[in-house]
Amino acid sequence: MQQLSVRHLLGIKNLTENDIQLILDTAREFKDVINRPIKKVPSLRDITIANVFFENSTRTRLSFELAEKRLSADVVNFSASGSSVKKGETLLDTVNNILAMKVDMIVMRHSSPGTPHYLSGRIKANVVNAGDGTHEHPTQALLDSFSIQDKLGDVAGKRIAIIGDILHSRVALSNIFCLQKQGAEVMVCGPTTLIPKYIGQLGVKVSHDVREALSWCDVANVLRIQLERQQIKYFPSLREYSLYFGINKKMLDELDRPIVLMHPGPINRGVELTSDAADSHHSIILDQVENGVAVRMAVLYLLAQL
Amino acid sequence: MKVLIRSARIVDSQSPFHGQTRDLLIENGLIRQIGESLAADEPVQVIEREGLCVSPGWVDLRVSAKDPGFEHKEDLTTACRAAARGGFTDIAVLPNTSPALDSKDTIGYVKQVTMGQPVSVHPIAAVTKRIEGKDFTEMIDLHQAGAVAFSDGEHPLSDPDLLLKTLQYLQPFNGLLMNRPEEQRLTQFGQMHEGLTSTLLGMKGMPALAEEMAVERDLRLLEYVLGLGSGEKPAPPPTPEITVLHFSTISTARSVELIRQAKAQGLPVSCDVAAHQLAFDDTALMSFDTNLKVNPPFRLPADLAALQQGLIDGTIDAIVSDHNPQDEESKNLEFDNAEFGIIGLETAFAVVRTYFPAYPLEQLIDRLTRRPRRILRLPAQSIDENQPATLTLFDPDLEWTFEKTASRSKNSPFLGTTLKGRALWIIGKGLAEHV
Repeated sequence: MQQLSVRHLLGIKNLTENDIQLILDTAREFKDVINRPIKKVPSLRDITIANVFFENSTRTRLSFELAEKRLSADVVNFSASGSSVKKGETLLDTVNNILAMKVDMIVMRHSSPGTPHYLSGRIKANVVNAGDGTHEHPTQALLDSFSIQDKLGDVAGKRIAIIGDILHSRVALSNIFCLQKQGAEVMVCGPTTLIPKYIGQLGVKVSHDVREALSWCDVANVLRIQLERQQIKYFPSLREYSLYFGINKKMLDELDRPIVLMHPGPINRGVELTSDAADSHHSIILDQVENGVAVRMAVLYLLAQL
Repeated sequence: MKVLIRSARIVDSQSPFHGQTRDLLIENGLIRQIGESLAADEPVQVIEREGLCVSPGWVDLRVSAKDPGFEHKEDLTTACRAAARGGFTDIAVLPNTSPALDSKDTIGYVKQVTMGQPVSVHPIAAVTKRIEGKDFTEMIDLHQAGAVAFSDGEHPLSDPDLLLKTLQYLQPFNGLLMNRPEEQRLTQFGQMHEGLTSTLLGMKGMPALAEEMAVERDLRLLEYVLGLGSGEKPAPPPTPEITVLHFSTISTARSVELIRQAKAQGLPVSCDVAAHQLAFDDTALMSFDTNLKVNPPFRLPADLAALQQGLIDGTIDAIVSDHNPQDEESKNLEFDNAEFGIIGLETAFAVVRTYFPAYPLEQLIDRLTRRPRRILRLPAQSIDENQPATLTLFDPDLEWTFEKTASRSKNSPFLGTTLKGRALWIIGKGLAEHV
């Protein structure tokens, strides 16, 4: 049986092309599973997984929890805001306390880049990064690639435009790594203040014109404005943002060929996407959510085999 | 105390014995005799070792001793012990303590606590009360009390009017202002150098621009205060001996170039670089090792090369340890939450020898002795008979592994690393200490 080259899923950066393919292929099998009348398999029986979330999350945590339960793993959840760690217990103590209760895997979200990396060097359990600050969100990138594969047959050779707040987005960075490793072309598009200055050095195209991005791409992956992660002002108002960077159905209909519309959620309707665009036939946003469970099942399953 | 140093190679460009291997007899804090095969008739401590070199005592312009206020990270005694192990006979300590070194009391405390140490501790007084960047300290009084320079230490002086008035106020008594150049509004929330690596790591960057703008601004303010640059006065000769503005821990190629030009125009400025800055570039941060989290951050290979060139051509006057102890509770954390800083006293010399092996030893010693001494307005030292015996004995090629630190903190990326060059003894204030 094929195996992953890593013990932890810290980021797409650390995966090989084979790892990515293996995860996507495995996810395809699990997608079949979760569409059967009996959605559950016994693969991870006797494995205990802790979802440790130091930052708010609804859908990612829910998606992981469902993936874990459909694999028959035992699941515990821990949530705390990043600041409560500062008040008392250190991160390492918190995690070691959880591990002392015989937990085999940690799924972690944290606001500080590199925290899963930090943890993986200090504990025995497998670590899955469910988002570390503005660094990576590997399972989101994997499910995005899976969804593109589903819709367009292949990722290689496709043009994907990531539109919105690139600077504060872990989804953007993981997607860039993931798509490039599979041979896709990537463009990032957004206001100049929300595009990292050196991102061009990653081999992506950079645009500040949303119409240009839409007419260039096969897939538009639209990101949310991360107001909660902006510690400084980056643009004047949401009104101006939606006027100049928002996408509506008319813009999509006017393109000379159909494109696929994606969004990692949650959508700020009326800001980056109008409702008529989000709910249009272009959109595969809800497919992404479904695929998320299958991809996370694949990741957990493969890590548990090592 | 009487000490006989046997067959030491003298490394001191200012000494008539420079480059020669001689015996030195030290008595009552003075170099009594320099010669060959000196007799040891009385009870005398003999220091003899293969590969032994001797230079004037090394001076560190930037040490954070954390005492008073943060004694769980370091205190003046442990800082002195670490300094001695690193070969430093003189250290200038930053005012970022609690309470800050902003009054005669706190300056007196530092002097008194360290009186019996072979290491001389020179307090740098704060420019502003409580280092808040607002109200001036009583600088004349602090100068009288023994403050060797003025600086807000780890806090850059951000208000241009405050910096201008400080330069003006220090002029009559020839005071020295040391400033860490950083436009902090450009480095807010920054964790590392802004560049490709910070983009790959999703970390908020600190652009080189933030340092360079501050250097440029401070140089313009100095020109203004001295009435230079606007034709008010004739241009002074290049590279003045006594400097009035010192830039601490510069880190970028452009900063080196700006200071090089300023010196050529005769502006009385000097600068230093932290030893660890010569060892790493920003790609080292890929490990997320918080012991590499330091301000200024590790930059690009081109910046490293420019810093080396600045040392070779003399633009950079001094090498400092930028010793900044942080306890485990401040470092064994998520990267964003960890404090900045590296302990450097024990490794500064060895790090330069190891990571910049092409740098001539004589120049390295000059950047640790004559130049920093002159910047602090300390009396010149040279190895000659009947001169004060403030000396560092070392082996420039000894290989050793940095396994245990004398500091109270352990935040060094060099722990466990094998380095080249080590101090062996220091002689200061009439005391010899084997390190």
